[in-house]
Amino acid sequence: MDELELLKKDWKKRGDQMPQLGYDEIYKMIWKKSSSIVKWIFIISILEFLIPHLLYLTPSMSKTLAIWRDLGLGNFLVISSIVQYSVVLFFIYQFYRRYKEISTLDNAKLLLSNILKTRKTVKYYVIFCLSLIFISFLVMAAGLYLSDDPMAAMGYDNSMEQVDPAKLKITMMATVIVLGVIVTAAMGCIYFLLYGLLIKKLNKNYKELKEMEV
Amino acid sequence: MTKDLEHQFVTELEKNQNIVHKVCTLYTNDRDSHKDLFQEITIQLWKAYPKFRGDSKFSTWMYRVALNTAITLYRKSKKNIRTQDYESVIFKISADEYDPTEEQQLKLMYNAVKQLGDIDKALVFLYLEEKNYTEIADTLGITEVNARVKMNRIKNKLRTILNP
Repeated sequence: MDELELLKKDWKKRGDQMPQLGYDEIYKMIWKKSSSIVKWIFIISILEFLIPHLLYLTPSMSKTLAIWRDLGLGNFLVISSIVQYSVVLFFIYQFYRRYKEISTLDNAKLLLSNILKTRKTVKYYVIFCLSLIFISFLVMAAGLYLSDDPMAAMGYDNSMEQVDPAKLKITMMATVIVLGVIVTAAMGCIYFLLYGLLIKKLNKNYKELKEMEV
Repeated sequence: MTKDLEHQFVTELEKNQNIVHKVCTLYTNDRDSHKDLFQEITIQLWKAYPKFRGDSKFSTWMYRVALNTAITLYRKSKKNIRTQDYESVIFKISADEYDPTEEQQLKLMYNAVKQLGDIDKALVFLYLEEKNYTEIADTLGITEVNARVKMNRIKNKLRTILNP
């Protein structure tokens, strides 16, 4: 193509007209903070690892824990905590390993693939957390169903004698399930929005490199 | 020791800074973004420098890190409005080689290249820098055959942009 050859000739000339930075300017730059996507992914991922755990520290959560015990679901709590923490440790290990693999010295495709893999680890972790949250709500609903006095278990005085206990039970279970759906969906939305925004560009470029192979 | 390394790195980069400037020119549209990207590439180069063992040329290694930063790591700041002022710097043609048709053609070409996607730009950049297809394929992580095919497609794409 003639035009591209023309451009090539011009490109060479143009190289000499580029702005030039002095030694000191470059020296100052190497101490500036990076604002790369990888750094953002790292920070946001760490937050995503921490946030589900910070929830346990809120006062309302400790009240909820008491409800769980009163509903006779203490065992579920212990088991799910053990499962959760072993899975969390596994994810953190995976994340760290993948994060370490990211190197700008790799070719573009491998670099993109490694970054996306790192991010995917966090994605799976969040899906795991979201399912755990949702399952907790379901188990709580089941606990209510099996409980003789759900009102007392929830920490309220059973002063509404006039209400049919069976009806009350169903209303409470429905409320818990609906709440479960809302909480899970809201957390999921926030997360996937963050995830999508962060890796939009990476996904696009990676797809393009992958498509070349077809 | 670290002081030595710093000095060595900055000297090398100062000498080869044209490569980084050219990448910035292709991937950004205004002076601030150009500076931003230049800085990010410099940081990434410096971070990777201890791993650079000199088994390839400093400039070869620079192409890879600079393009990786532009394609992958760089997050565009919001203020990337194209400024007239900056355009005129890039497309400046000196008086002695003034040829209205050629100038017009070049300007159109540069504009067309700017409209390409990140990966296509990387291919065009390496092509303009007279890298062979082995090097282009190696930098992007694709096969040589695919690099050739892709380059042909880009040429067609540029042709359509130029002659709609």
